[in-house]
Amino acid sequence: MRRMKKARSSKKSPSHPWRRLIWQLVIVALIILAGWVVYLDAVVTSKFEGRRWEVPSRVFARPLEIYDGAPISVDSLRYELDRLGYEPVRLPSEPGSYSRSGGRFTIYTRAFRFPDGEQPARQISLTINGDRVQAFQVRKGPTTRVMRLEPVQVGGIYPSHGEDRVLVSLDEAPALFREALLSTEDEDFFDHWGIAPLSILRALWANIQAGHVVQGGSTLTQQLVKNFYLTRDQTLVRKANEAIMALLLEAHYEKNDILETYLNEVYLGQAGSRAIHGFGLGSQFYFGESFRRLDLHEVALLVAVIKGPSYFDPRRHPERARERRNLVIRLMEQAGHISRERADQAQARSLDVVDRPSFTGAEYPAYLDLVQRHLSRDYRQEDLQSEGLRIFTTLNPAIQRSAENAVAERLARLNDRSEKTLESAVVVTSRDSGEVVALVGGRESQYDGFNRAVDARRPIGSLMKPFVFLSALSRPEDYTLVTPLKDRPFALVFDNGREWKPENYSGEAHGEVPLHRALSHSYNLASVRLGLGVGVPAVRNTLDKLGLARDIPTYPSMLLGAASLSPVEVASLYQGIATGGFNTPLRTIREVTTAGGESLSRYGLEVKQVVDPAAVHLVQYAMQEVMQEGTGKSAYRYLPRELGLAGKTGTTNDGRDSWFAGFSGDLLAVSWVGRDDNGPTPLTGATGALPVWADLMSRIPQNSFSPVVPAEVNYHWVDSDKAALTEEGCGEGRYMPFIAGSEPTDRVACSGSLGGQIRNWLRSVF
Amino acid sequence: MGTRIGGLILGGILLAGCAGGPGPDIYVPAQRPVDSDTSSEAQGDEPASRPSVEARSAPSHQSEAPSLSPAAVSLIRDADRLMRNDQVGAAIGRLERAQRISPRSAEVYYRLAHAYRANDQLGRAEQFALRGLSLTGDSVPLQRTGWSLLADIRRSAGDMAGAEKAQQRARAL
Repeated sequence: MRRMKKARSSKKSPSHPWRRLIWQLVIVALIILAGWVVYLDAVVTSKFEGRRWEVPSRVFARPLEIYDGAPISVDSLRYELDRLGYEPVRLPSEPGSYSRSGGRFTIYTRAFRFPDGEQPARQISLTINGDRVQAFQVRKGPTTRVMRLEPVQVGGIYPSHGEDRVLVSLDEAPALFREALLSTEDEDFFDHWGIAPLSILRALWANIQAGHVVQGGSTLTQQLVKNFYLTRDQTLVRKANEAIMALLLEAHYEKNDILETYLNEVYLGQAGSRAIHGFGLGSQFYFGESFRRLDLHEVALLVAVIKGPSYFDPRRHPERARERRNLVIRLMEQAGHISRERADQAQARSLDVVDRPSFTGAEYPAYLDLVQRHLSRDYRQEDLQSEGLRIFTTLNPAIQRSAENAVAERLARLNDRSEKTLESAVVVTSRDSGEVVALVGGRESQYDGFNRAVDARRPIGSLMKPFVFLSALSRPEDYTLVTPLKDRPFALVFDNGREWKPENYSGEAHGEVPLHRALSHSYNLASVRLGLGVGVPAVRNTLDKLGLARDIPTYPSMLLGAASLSPVEVASLYQGIATGGFNTPLRTIREVTTAGGESLSRYGLEVKQVVDPAAVHLVQYAMQEVMQEGTGKSAYRYLPRELGLAGKTGTTNDGRDSWFAGFSGDLLAVSWVGRDDNGPTPLTGATGALPVWADLMSRIPQNSFSPVVPAEVNYHWVDSDKAALTEEGCGEGRYMPFIAGSEPTDRVACSGSLGGQIRNWLRSVF
Repeated sequence: MGTRIGGLILGGILLAGCAGGPGPDIYVPAQRPVDSDTSSEAQGDEPASRPSVEARSAPSHQSEAPSLSPAAVSLIRDADRLMRNDQVGAAIGRLERAQRISPRSAEVYYRLAHAYRANDQLGRAEQFALRGLSLTGDSVPLQRTGWSLLADIRRSAGDMAGAEKAQQRARAL
């Protein structure tokens, strides 16, 4: 550059050799310039690629299936539509809108590219009655009996290095965002080549008119290039470099790529030492909301602060920020993007900035943590953070919300009565498929901290008993549901001279009890005797078959649940009992595709018969009894009687752990309540974990548990205390399942008086 | 050949399932939890020792096979079409959707068994057939279909003894 000036300044010698020299100098200068441009090109592309191609993976919830009979409540459908950003309108005439009148919905769904193909947009109508979809009809679009709404995006897997940011894509931008940004910052963005001399002049004119700076002259591309530098020097050379780089960037990339990168690069504020870059994090920082859900006045505020995040800081200088925001809205109106009324309305809104910035990019940190652990079996962390994969999970947002609310509300009550803070964890799975539909890692479910559902391994107490009983009932020649067990105190003396004396929870022994009652009432003495009868290794073997991946001690105390497991591990073991003897590995992921939609891995349904379905059916009977007359019956304080359930309580010494595991026809859930420091609590399984579990179940419409009887099982009327067959309708009689050939052979007459039989007969008549 | 037999076996039962009407599943809508007065609970006491909340009702079971929802039927028809076009993977995807809608219907599992068999994943195929068989209840046609399907799969896997056993079960019905 300097050479060129020199050359120009020595004008006065038109002689031949001079002219040649000038030409030579010009050529040298051009070569140097060309070299410089090549250098800048390399810089700008590497910087841009570095930002641009580090695309986080996007994590989706399960799509909501809509069909006649689908179990959906009005509230959960509204929640789903709200999460998807559907707009409630009078007449849904474009994708992404819906109308509702009572239980009647008309929805204009959006198109979505599922891993198994594109689903078109449709206008549909349906009615929800008794928490079920009825009269589902397609009004516009290809007709079908069953369709999916697009899945809610529930998070992403972001690069851990560099600045904090919540990456967003252009199609996630809220309505009018593009208009707000462009009419304020770069009106001609889609027409210029990176720099816009006209804009500079126009900005100058606007600024002169306003008497102060209202518009900047640099294009979005220039602003983006500026961000690639770490320092904020404002030299002429740097300006020139930025202009060249802006031109180069435009030559290389599509406008939308540049805009999307800008979206994630722009500096929007400061939280202590942390710089807030990008609209994704900015939305969280200022509004505690995800970007796509912002309203016009919020969008305008974000665009307003671009000019000077510290000068226009809406928390410290709300008046300045409001003025600038209203200017943005006015500019949008002038450009014809919004009506006068809309502008006035938006300008009248308050800033709506949250007091305390929230940084939880992900709403479901515990669930996403489990997803990441499952992904890490097949994918490298770098790829997840940068390849823009699409991850389709099994999360059900409505059930997740129910689980979070149940934990929050029940824990608040329990904590009122407890001196130390109680914590909790919940796992909910789909009973027949093993899909994890909800996961709560702690009392404050939004807080990305210790994930108790996965990492808190605690002694499981009586949750072990169903496996002890299953091991016994798998030997029908030795055990049936009516086998009498001794519930009497005893001591085990080990080789080292130590003694173990198990006790019942109540401290009382119950003498001789039928096997089913020992489980439904959780009698320790009878259960340990049963376990020792079948042998600890046999119980261990049952656990292995049901997929226990952890090494647990094989001492007799294991029969009372001395083994420590996490709630997720417990759920995995109970899955085998809930499905009737089929191992169904817990899954959080259905499919992973590339950004372009090509399938990388499918995690399909798997089933494997590992224990005898007939024996499991007997255990399910006793676990239903737990809910009806045993330790779990207080669940029906929260739940309607018609909902058939099976479950088991668990309590460890001094109430350090309160557990409940159980299932309905559709869902399996495990809940735990206890203290992080493993201290004592006044709780039992029935007073801590069970209320959480029952509260959660009461919020979800579902089918009763009513297992199909396996071919090898027959039901008989028996008097279980006498382990003998009896007549139908006897006062003491129960209709109980037996594996064929193991039924009692003794027969007793109705032990009740004739009156008892008449009473039963009358009951059956009326 | 075997695949065609499987298809024929399965072709009939779908309609049988449809004709069955709604299954015995009891559907219970959600309700806001009843706020019981928990403060009255005696601390440190298992509630089993308290008088029962309500009169006892018996544990439930059903002998009738749960039926398919019409939505699941339409997905299965989709899957059939995909199978005919040799798009087994896509068919399995449809069948898994059907399974989520009607998770206790033997037919869905039989279809999955059939699809995995066509994909030469015989181990999985056998397991899905067994899962279906565990849900047949007292329906003789479903049991017969399941045992025949299992025999067919085991034969493909070279497990002749297992196939014979399954075939006998089918014949004995």
